[in-house]
Amino acid sequence: MTAADAAFGAPAPRGLAGSPIGLLVRLVRRPEGAFGALILAVFAVLAIAPELFVGPLQTAVTAPGTRLSPPSPEFPFGTDELRRDMLNLTVHGARVSMAIGLLATLVTVFIGAVVGIVAGFLGGRVDAILMRITDFFLVIPTFVLALILTPIIRDLVGSGSAQVLGIRMTLIVIVIVIGITSWSSTARIIRSQTLSLKERAFVDRARVIGAGGGHIMRRHILPNVINLIVANAVLVFAGAVLTETTLSFVGLGDPFQPSWGQLLEAARTVGAPGLGAWWYFVPPGVGIVLVVFAFTLVGGALDDLLNPKRRGRR
Amino acid sequence: MSGSYLARRLSSALFTIALIVVVNFILFRAMPGSPERVILRGTPNVTPAQLEAARERWGLNDPIFPISFEEAGVVVSADNQFFKFVGATVAGDLGYSFVARGQTVGDVLAQRIWPTVILFGLGELVAIVLGLALGAYTGWRRGGGVDLVGNGVSLVLYSTPYFLLGMALLLVFATGLRWFPTFGMLTAGVTYPDLGARLVDFLAHLALPLTTVSLGLVGQYAIVMRSSIVETLSDDYVTTARGMGLSEGRILRHHALPNALLPTVSLIAINLGYVVAGAITVEVVFNWPGLGTLAVEALTARDYPVLQGVFLLLSVSVVLANLVADLIYGLLDPRVRT
Amino acid sequence: MTTGAPAGSATSAGPATNSPGTAGERRPRTLPKQAVPGAPLLEVDDLRTYFALGSDTVRAVDGVSFRLDAGEALGIAGESGCGKTTTALSLVRLLPGNARIVGGAVRLYGIDLAAKSDTAIRRYRWREISIVFQGAMNALNPVTRVRDQVAEPIVERLGVGRRAANRRAGDLLELVGIPRARGSAYPHELSGGMRQRAMIAMALACDPAIVIGDEPTTALDVMVQAQILDLLERLRERLGLSLILITHDLSVIAETCDRVLIMYAGRVAEEGPVGEVFTRPRHPYTQKLLAAFPNIRADRRALDVIPGSPPDLRTPPPGCRFAPRCPAAMAVCSEVVPPDVRFADRVRVACHLYPEGSSGEPVPVAATP
Repeated sequence: MTAADAAFGAPAPRGLAGSPIGLLVRLVRRPEGAFGALILAVFAVLAIAPELFVGPLQTAVTAPGTRLSPPSPEFPFGTDELRRDMLNLTVHGARVSMAIGLLATLVTVFIGAVVGIVAGFLGGRVDAILMRITDFFLVIPTFVLALILTPIIRDLVGSGSAQVLGIRMTLIVIVIVIGITSWSSTARIIRSQTLSLKERAFVDRARVIGAGGGHIMRRHILPNVINLIVANAVLVFAGAVLTETTLSFVGLGDPFQPSWGQLLEAARTVGAPGLGAWWYFVPPGVGIVLVVFAFTLVGGALDDLLNPKRRGRR
Repeated sequence: MSGSYLARRLSSALFTIALIVVVNFILFRAMPGSPERVILRGTPNVTPAQLEAARERWGLNDPIFPISFEEAGVVVSADNQFFKFVGATVAGDLGYSFVARGQTVGDVLAQRIWPTVILFGLGELVAIVLGLALGAYTGWRRGGGVDLVGNGVSLVLYSTPYFLLGMALLLVFATGLRWFPTFGMLTAGVTYPDLGARLVDFLAHLALPLTTVSLGLVGQYAIVMRSSIVETLSDDYVTTARGMGLSEGRILRHHALPNALLPTVSLIAINLGYVVAGAITVEVVFNWPGLGTLAVEALTARDYPVLQGVFLLLSVSVVLANLVADLIYGLLDPRVRT
Repeated sequence: MTTGAPAGSATSAGPATNSPGTAGERRPRTLPKQAVPGAPLLEVDDLRTYFALGSDTVRAVDGVSFRLDAGEALGIAGESGCGKTTTALSLVRLLPGNARIVGGAVRLYGIDLAAKSDTAIRRYRWREISIVFQGAMNALNPVTRVRDQVAEPIVERLGVGRRAANRRAGDLLELVGIPRARGSAYPHELSGGMRQRAMIAMALACDPAIVIGDEPTTALDVMVQAQILDLLERLRERLGLSLILITHDLSVIAETCDRVLIMYAGRVAEEGPVGEVFTRPRHPYTQKLLAAFPNIRADRRALDVIPGSPPDLRTPPPGCRFAPRCPAAMAVCSEVVPPDVRFADRVRVACHLYPEGSSGEPVPVAATP
């Protein structure tokens, strides 16, 4: 260890190479990473099996309480205007919000990674065209686009009660719309990484032995951007949860499968803030803030881990 | 500033706007049952003859794109829906609202644009001033108590959807403390003795939504500015400036800030698209009669032409705002001007 | 007005001290108020600078002493990580946040800078000692014009008005070989060599007594390197500057410096007049260092590499730090820190081969049986 190392921190232990598991391990060693991961773990458990904790989702028919009553020992989060237990709704809402977030993230990251790797690797006109499209989606207010797209696609698809992974089609449409509108920042990041990887020797080696473009992209580029994709996916998840919440808030949610955003929309429609019924919107609200906050913490910690320039500097 | 930088940015903006119009056209065609509804404006009892006449008038029997593949072969026609749509859009004719009888989309937009401009514009202004100041301070004095608290608060604000903030503020300050009214831009049904009274009522209604928008943005801007400043701290010219024995204040103002502003301006510009989402929801929470509530009303009523009009207006505004930000960036950073 | 002079301290107050005058003239130097009469220009005495890295302490500079007289050029040489840059930064106290001077003194005209507070030391920066950084090309603010950057210390530290400061900045740019008109350019519009010259002009702005050059030519090509070194030499003659040149490139030191200090692992191995040290290196490390330089005239042979690598300064070896790699290492070398020994030809060595009172020939100590 020399003076230069001391001033700038020891060399990063292969920040970008190395397995995603190793990355996760290093993540929880940092306090903010551990804290964020803990919060997410709690919500993940609630989201996977909400019935274990609060029973099945209550409906207007099975509602046990009285209308809009404040928190009490029987109903710790109070009740809504349909006399349902807010605790029940909030925990089930966790499932819907997280599930939609997860699915939307998968779609977004998939599209973004494909576009990014193809654009970065192929370069030239393909890159130029793809980047034009990407920049377009980066500039425009994609939320308004999502606002228009969702009812259009819903009207086209029809509102049956089909379900994918337990999520109703109306909400799957939201997943698709979020995916269509959010992939561009992922694409940009992955493209940059691909560009720098392209310059490295192992790509030339693969070319020399006659490997085709698709093969190189899959076997050589992809494994080296995986960690970056994972880190980016975390932040995309946070964004997806926020977007779904906002879309639900303006009325595109599903009252039969309420996410946190949908609960907030119901609260607004009933006029909860004006009535002083804080228990209607605080629990789902706190849930959203906690989850997004946790994702941001984890995402930030991952970014620090993968970005060698930030390490050890004053 | 070099002409070519300006020209490049301008042409890029124009290209994006062109793409927006194209997307709008595609949406127009994709709307369920759209073109007919646009024509008929909900008129009942339409005869097939009226329908056909309207179709002719609207050019719906024309090919959609300039180049189309008919049975007779490839047909190139200037008389097509796409061109007509583009022409109409550029001329400001955005069609008729499905819901507001007799009003064009343009009329409807014009009625609702100023409240949004005021709310959003002032909110951005306040947020930029406060956010950049807070970010610069916490970035410079890294690690202090203020830094950790400021950072934490910024992160939490960043994770909170604007409308949630709005609802909370509404609950506390309007319902609870009764300091402010709970919705709208002006109290309904009231006649004002003079302009001053009207202004006061307006400001009272503006206070909470404005605070919400500003708070939502301040967190973001503070975080971005803070990390920019932290980056410049490790730049060599800052070390040189210290080596010169300059005061910390001078170094911050003349060396760190001008350089830290560069990525900050870029990021603020990039974020504009996302901020629009928040602004819409804040209007909804407070029933502020701007473009946001218009969009949601149009959504609920399936008033697609108005929705599209809002999309067009907001998108073009964001593109233009980005252009302005690019120009500001060009003023700040001499390296891009060459 | 001098920025950074705390109220109540007996530092010089007005712009009278080191006033600019015309650039490029050798003038009798006015000493700072606290200067001890008759003291040497710079005396570094057993300087120790340590870094805190996690729970470890890196002993980057561990007992370095040397002296610089007015008008001298001292070169500090050694491989990467030996502590030369840290030593230079310690002189002006521009250390990174996790570094601290833990011992020793840095006496400028007898004033111990190491003991000064962070605000008090500002008074001496740039006006007495200035520094031209490693990779100085990036040490210029990219959004400010070059002339304004050179003028800044003149305005801020010497209290000169903007007009006069700009004029003097122009003079300084001319002095280093940049046409005055180019002063309105931004750094990215200048070539690497010109940016380095601009940095030198900046370093001269407040007419310092000492200029430290930290690898001033490393990132430049050979032709430009030669020009810069030539410039430094001319400036030294013309302005009576004292120079400390930090570099790993011995040829630069051979060309420009009067004396050379060879550092290894945070300590001084050998020090003395360039002629003596380079022709008759005494310390085994110096010998190896000189031998490692490829000689264009010699027969082709394998590069004489020093085996092993420098020690981990978190846990430096006891005794002489070069012992693990030294071909002449003896038992005592890994136990006792070798003392400094001075010779008649003004060379100083820290090596057990040269005990106190030796003649200058290595005296191997018999290995204990």
